[in-house]
Amino acid sequence: MTGWHLDDDTLRRYVERVDSLAEGASAEQHLLSCEQCRARVSAAAGVIDLAAVWDRTRDTVEVPRPSVFERLLRVAGLPGHEARLVAVASAFRGVWLVGAAAVLAFAALAAVAGHARGLWLFLAVAPVVPCLVVASSYDPWLDPALEPELVTPYPALRLILLRTIAVLALALPAVLLLGLVIPGEAPFAWLLPAVGFVAVVLAASTWVSPLRAAIAVSSFWLALVWLLAALSGSPGAMLQSRAQAGFLALAAASLAIFLVRRRRLHQVRPWR
Amino acid sequence: MVTASISLREVGRTFGATRALAGVDLDLKPGVTGLLGPNGAGKTTLLRLLATALPPTQGQVRVLGLDPAAPAERTGIRRQLGYQPQEVGFPRGFTAFAFVDYIALLKEWTQPAARHAEVRRVLDLVGLSGLGAKRIRAMSGGQRRRVALAQALLGSPPVLILDEPTTGVDPEQRVTLRTVLAELARTSVVVLSTHQTEDVAALCERVIVLDRGRVRYDGPVTDLTGQAAGRVWLADEPDPAASVSWRTGTGRYRNVGARVRDGVEHVEPSLEDAYLLLRGGSPEHEPTEEVAS
Repeated sequence: MTGWHLDDDTLRRYVERVDSLAEGASAEQHLLSCEQCRARVSAAAGVIDLAAVWDRTRDTVEVPRPSVFERLLRVAGLPGHEARLVAVASAFRGVWLVGAAAVLAFAALAAVAGHARGLWLFLAVAPVVPCLVVASSYDPWLDPALEPELVTPYPALRLILLRTIAVLALALPAVLLLGLVIPGEAPFAWLLPAVGFVAVVLAASTWVSPLRAAIAVSSFWLALVWLLAALSGSPGAMLQSRAQAGFLALAAASLAIFLVRRRRLHQVRPWR
Repeated sequence: MVTASISLREVGRTFGATRALAGVDLDLKPGVTGLLGPNGAGKTTLLRLLATALPPTQGQVRVLGLDPAAPAERTGIRRQLGYQPQEVGFPRGFTAFAFVDYIALLKEWTQPAARHAEVRRVLDLVGLSGLGAKRIRAMSGGQRRRVALAQALLGSPPVLILDEPTTGVDPEQRVTLRTVLAELARTSVVVLSTHQTEDVAALCERVIVLDRGRVRYDGPVTDLTGQAAGRVWLADEPDPAASVSWRTGTGRYRNVGARVRDGVEHVEPSLEDAYLLLRGGSPEHEPTEEVAS
């Protein structure tokens, strides 16, 4: 039994957990030996909703922590639930992103090192990486939970477009960074082909599976770059504004086809 | 008169040259309906069709009065639907909670606190409380099935379509599952397929037997079982008069025959006896061989 008791203010701060560490420790020490103050604490704390406490505890343990990519999407202004829907695609997790980044980095390194074929390699690889990542973000073969996803009310079209925009949002900063280290204008030449190929994959996936479309587009592009490299010494042809305008037109036309045929997306093919 | 919640009229489905369903007419109301049938009978096709995962190639389907062929109405159905497919692939690295939470997001549970509470509720319902943080890849087959069931139960949907929900689930959990489904079936249409006749007997008021894409039987479970009365008997040897015979745990033979047999030791028929009897009457099948295999 002690000769003094916690005053009301100290008691309130202790119960509400807004006291300082030292004050809290002092109050706790006193409570161990003072039955009267312990009774006042119980009264001040009121009825504790144990179920709510348990739910919060389970949330802490069970609710998955957002990935770095998901947090970035939220910072970019996407609502929390949509950021999660975009980020959970297998294409945006672990090995996929690391793989895509490694391929791009390798190609960029080859270009920076000044290897004769380095820039060609970069221009061959960089435009196809975004379309492959887009395709893998909603291809049924890579997203095996497809059937439960398919019969939910969330529009597949919106999900696909959100994931596509997320890929491009990742690719744009990458090209800016790479542009700083690679000399000349060539590093930026891949941006419009990349956007065009993503649009082609979206349009083609109203006929075939997205991954097949992306592999076909990539193969075509690699063959074209190889042919250009064999015929010409420099990638100047790709830098010409006419070629770049062509890629822009390809993107616009493909996007128009995609929007017209959006109900025939391969993912919702059963209701074709 | 109670309005049917799901109706099918002359529904058929083909895959290339293969006919999976033909001329199916059904009206389904709140309650649990069991689908029985051999492999390839069309059970999964019928369930996928009810779940709007697959369109029919002929006939008309109405779910809760809505036409799944119309995009807006199909979305309306999906807002009121829970579906557990036969095979559910799980994205790599997902925990049970993360997967069910992801499906909840797609089911338009956008408010985090309410969504997390609902995910916890369905995980608890299927007996996975405490396992929410466990990676699905590290779970047993039965636990994975329960994760797949949990996502179907989100929001206690008015229509619940379950493709073999009890496969690989241990007996205690099956009892729990029966309780959960029975409770939900007071207001919801629950359709489940299974190879376990005891699940149908314990859970379903109504049973539909499919064979080669056609409905062979549609009615109360008790009526189907009643059809086998006087046609099931025990003997020391397999009886040549029986369509199907098998050795039981007691060493005696259980015989199921197409005709009522006199002068033998009759036993109470089970749903399995009745089902085998029904299939034994099909000229396309040789149940004795199938049972023996």
